[in-house]
Amino acid sequence: MVNINWTIVAQILNFVILLWVLAKFAYKPLIKAMENRRNRIIKDLDTAEQTRLDAEALKAQYTEQLSNARQEATQIVDKANKVAQKLHDEFMDQARAEKETMITSAKESIEQDKQQALLEIRTEVIKLSTQIAGKIVNQKLNSADDQQMIAKTVDEVMAKH
Amino acid sequence: MGIAEAAESGIIHYLPQEIASGVQVHMQTLYMSWLTMLIVAVIVFAATRKAGIIPSGIQNIVEIFIEWLNGLMEKNLGIEGRRTVAPFIITLFLYIFVGNEMGLLPQVGVHFTSPTNDINVTLGLSIMVSLLVYILGLFKKGPGYLKHFVQPYAVFLPINLLEEIAKPITMALRLFGNILAGEILLIILYQLVPWVVPNVWVGFSLVIGFLQAFIFTMLTMIALAPVFKEGH
Repeated sequence: MVNINWTIVAQILNFVILLWVLAKFAYKPLIKAMENRRNRIIKDLDTAEQTRLDAEALKAQYTEQLSNARQEATQIVDKANKVAQKLHDEFMDQARAEKETMITSAKESIEQDKQQALLEIRTEVIKLSTQIAGKIVNQKLNSADDQQMIAKTVDEVMAKH
Repeated sequence: MGIAEAAESGIIHYLPQEIASGVQVHMQTLYMSWLTMLIVAVIVFAATRKAGIIPSGIQNIVEIFIEWLNGLMEKNLGIEGRRTVAPFIITLFLYIFVGNEMGLLPQVGVHFTSPTNDINVTLGLSIMVSLLVYILGLFKKGPGYLKHFVQPYAVFLPINLLEEIAKPITMALRLFGNILAGEILLIILYQLVPWVVPNVWVGFSLVIGFLQAFIFTMLTMIALAPVFKEGH
């Protein structure tokens, strides 16, 4: 039963042969494949991590750029608003000044016309008054003294009105 | 009926044969050993034939075992130890595991037995393990490796020697006894209750076969551990 014989040697030989064959032809490629896979997974994970970090950096950069752009846009709009306001004010001032000038010149012109008209009226009144007075007193009042006297009277009357 | 009587009565037979004068071998054991080697080789080669980055089919199964054993080796022997003995440990486990299950195959035409039901096989394996421990120990640590026989004190030399002899013998007997007893019980159960009960026992023996293979492999790793430990 428990009969120890040469089988023990044959068995050791058997096992050594199996070990040699497997170690040489099977385990090496298998363990290499497993190592390769392991390395590849590690590499892929590293790459993924790197990509994620890159993406985050890009995102931060874009966010910053976006906020800068927004700020710049606000500045530009503000500036444009200010310029527009300034232009508007300038135009308004100019227009107001022109208006003032025009009114002043119109007033002056009216005043001039008025003075002119008054002068003409005065002359006419003097002439008419002289004629009327001449008719009333039935004589010609042509002398310079007469004219002067009538002018004086007319002035007095006009000054009253 | 004891194990010895069962074997003598012809329930288990080893087909002893004298291949040369004074050189007797158990042919049944050798046939089954070769068949086991063939099965292990076929499984492993099938797994590695197209070893790819993405494993599939049998490569997955073999890789599960290899990963598991690699993990155990790394825990017990460290990374360097794993690199050195991985092929040995993996082959040892697969050989014993497949061998243990051989005796559970249905006995149709061929008389299947486990090669591990022969003390010659288990003792051969355990002696090989012991030799490997010495060879690796001397190779890695030089003659100083033998100092462990006189540690902690020189007085311990006989005890240490006894331990070195007892270790392979217990390993061999544990495996041999478990598998042989399982097979004998299976045969007896078939004769006593031909239905259901033997099938339950086969299921149980499948687990025992795995467990014994694991125990033998684990003990081998424990025996190898001092070789790869630093500062001893």
